[in-house]
Amino acid sequence: MKGNTGKILNVNLTSSTITVETLPEEYYQKYIGGSGLAAKLFWERGRFDIDPLAPEALLMFMNGPFAGLRLSGASRNSVAGCSPLTGHWGDSSCGGYFAPELRYCGLDGLVITGRAEGPSLLLIEDKQARILDASEYWGRGTEEVNSSLKKRFGKAYRTLVIGPAAENLVRYAVILNEGHHATGRAGFGTLMGAKNLKAILVKSSKKKMDLADPAGLETLRKDLNLRIADALASQVLHENGTAANLVGGVYSGDVPVKNWTSNFWEDAAEALTGSTLTEQYLTRRGACAYCNIACKRYVEVKEGPFKVSEGPGPEYETIVAFGTLIGSIDLAATCKAGRVCNDLGIDTISAGGSIAWAMEAFEKGHLTLEDTGGTPLHWGDLETVITVLLPKIAQRDGPLGNLLADGSVSAAKKLGKGLEYTVHSKGLEAPMHDPRGGGYGMALTYAMSPRGACHVADPMLFIEMGARYYPEIGFDYVLEPKSYENKAEAAVTSVAFGAIENSACFCQFADAEVTIPDWLALFNTVTGSGWDADDMLRAGRRIFYLKRLINHRYGLTAQDDNLTPRMLEPGKDGEAEGSQVNLELMKARFYELMDIDPIKGIPTREAMEAYNMGEEAVSVYPG
Amino acid sequence: MEFWKDSQEAVTAVLKMHELLMEDAELVNSMKKVNQLIWYDYTESGPGCAVWVDCRGGNLAFGAGDPPDKPDLTMSLSADDAHRAWSDKLNPVMAITRKKIRVKGSATGLLKLAPKIKKVAVYYNKGLRDLGWEDKILK
Repeated sequence: MKGNTGKILNVNLTSSTITVETLPEEYYQKYIGGSGLAAKLFWERGRFDIDPLAPEALLMFMNGPFAGLRLSGASRNSVAGCSPLTGHWGDSSCGGYFAPELRYCGLDGLVITGRAEGPSLLLIEDKQARILDASEYWGRGTEEVNSSLKKRFGKAYRTLVIGPAAENLVRYAVILNEGHHATGRAGFGTLMGAKNLKAILVKSSKKKMDLADPAGLETLRKDLNLRIADALASQVLHENGTAANLVGGVYSGDVPVKNWTSNFWEDAAEALTGSTLTEQYLTRRGACAYCNIACKRYVEVKEGPFKVSEGPGPEYETIVAFGTLIGSIDLAATCKAGRVCNDLGIDTISAGGSIAWAMEAFEKGHLTLEDTGGTPLHWGDLETVITVLLPKIAQRDGPLGNLLADGSVSAAKKLGKGLEYTVHSKGLEAPMHDPRGGGYGMALTYAMSPRGACHVADPMLFIEMGARYYPEIGFDYVLEPKSYENKAEAAVTSVAFGAIENSACFCQFADAEVTIPDWLALFNTVTGSGWDADDMLRAGRRIFYLKRLINHRYGLTAQDDNLTPRMLEPGKDGEAEGSQVNLELMKARFYELMDIDPIKGIPTREAMEAYNMGEEAVSVYPG
Repeated sequence: MEFWKDSQEAVTAVLKMHELLMEDAELVNSMKKVNQLIWYDYTESGPGCAVWVDCRGGNLAFGAGDPPDKPDLTMSLSADDAHRAWSDKLNPVMAITRKKIRVKGSATGLLKLAPKIKKVAVYYNKGLRDLGWEDKILK
């Protein structure tokens, strides 16, 4: 096999057995790698009748084919399985430095099952792996553990660490790579916690890779790296990070305010935008492996109530989730909240979303002081959020900590109130882009995303902005964000492309510069797949289909391809005033174009057969 | 050119707009915050077809042709696309992606100004009217 190693490590923490398995090459041809390959393995090996945190639950880390190739943005990895937060398919992409190191070890991924008897860590050195006692790290924050592990094993060992939130089974706990890069969404840190797996370390002794056409790749790699670095978007991201265009978002109505009750807070534009972060708190820029965009931030808040020592800084999602979403435009507070979330190991999007919901519930009197254990919840009170709420959530401390530790949907259900103002799809709190301002196509893809509301499951956000087009395959739409015209049509390509991106594990910021011929040249020089554009897009759609089949096994139907009432209300102010999404209109057209059964929400038998998914078709359409 | 008789017309329209918006304190303030020397380079539509705007050091000045210093930000596009852009009829992100607009230098200021384009377009259209070019206003 060229490009991919074809090998994964199976780790059973209950029996302490570790084996190297060779996967069929056909799996890579059909499902690429990353989240696509994980979906294939989950379809075959996953259990659909167990609690997401049961020992038998699969926790999968999968690389894409380009990991370690010294190409900007191409060394991410995907973590996947049944989401502890939503109870159905979940996947989460992470940059950082884990994927290339695993690849250099000769491995494409890890499949972890079982539950260790006590706190453990998995140490991988080339293809050898050991399970070690990690009792001394249990209960400690990610920053301290990451630092201790580096001291003990050496800086060259790449780390994945969970925090106290995961240990306490907070349903949206993250896995942090190198203490900075988060596998953030869907709660896979929680699954690590349930397995008593505090950390994973990986170190290779060589960097050898077997590629189909090394010379061809080298020429392409150099060219792409230059083009990616030169692109205006890359320069903007480098200069001011992922919040660089927050100003534009505020004025278009894309930035949600106070649990999505408003789309416009003008003062937030200047107060929270990336250039303000640069001017006030940036100490240096950081990057994922081999990436020359370097959109990561290191910040220091030297004084004030939200003083933070030099370390990882907040990205756009964290800035909004702990900013306007909960009624604040204090940038220093977002730096502090982000750092606290990192250390506790909490997803900032779900945490911000759950807290915003709780603040609204408190304002409405649905959540009382009795429910909160005496803690008042007021918009913009970041002091309480940071010093009381986040630690309570991470420790599941008291009624409030326990209530919010399972996410906003579970909290509303437990409370018996406030479900109508949760903001999610399929149980996953929505990211910080409001489709009423950002674009209706994004509402459609939020609803269609197999893992739940997600802006990185596919590139629709960028497509509606006008930042993506693929003339080589006739994808040349000029889209008006607040319109339905061609949105379902664009979404057909967008979901396939998203599946390719998340399976190849390529960053959406970097791969904006990768044309269709470039994508094909990459696949063909690395893996020798011999693909044309149709082959590649068919793989993308196949992966999208397969994730829907997995959700079907969990009992999800077309009814679950939905958004909550709050997201479907007309926008109240700013550019989004009166803007209302007609999801059903786009959904019906999307199903039709995608050959998806409008009741079951899965591809028709004919579509599956046409996409070379005959075996799966037999399983869901018996007889 | 689709909209202009010659490149001088394009330059005149853009200069007129800047002249008018000097009376808008909020816009002037926003532009000063950019703190850059910006060069709108329309020379692909004809020699000398360009406008510079100097927002450095708390000042605001503008003129035709080449900038007085090395620009911090250069935006190169055709005079016709400039007309569409100032009229708020051109998605700048799309235009950049499709290479209709080429940007050189730091775009931080540009990102801050972009949301003001609706307001700027009002002055642009007023300028066209004042110049007797109502027929050039894009609907």
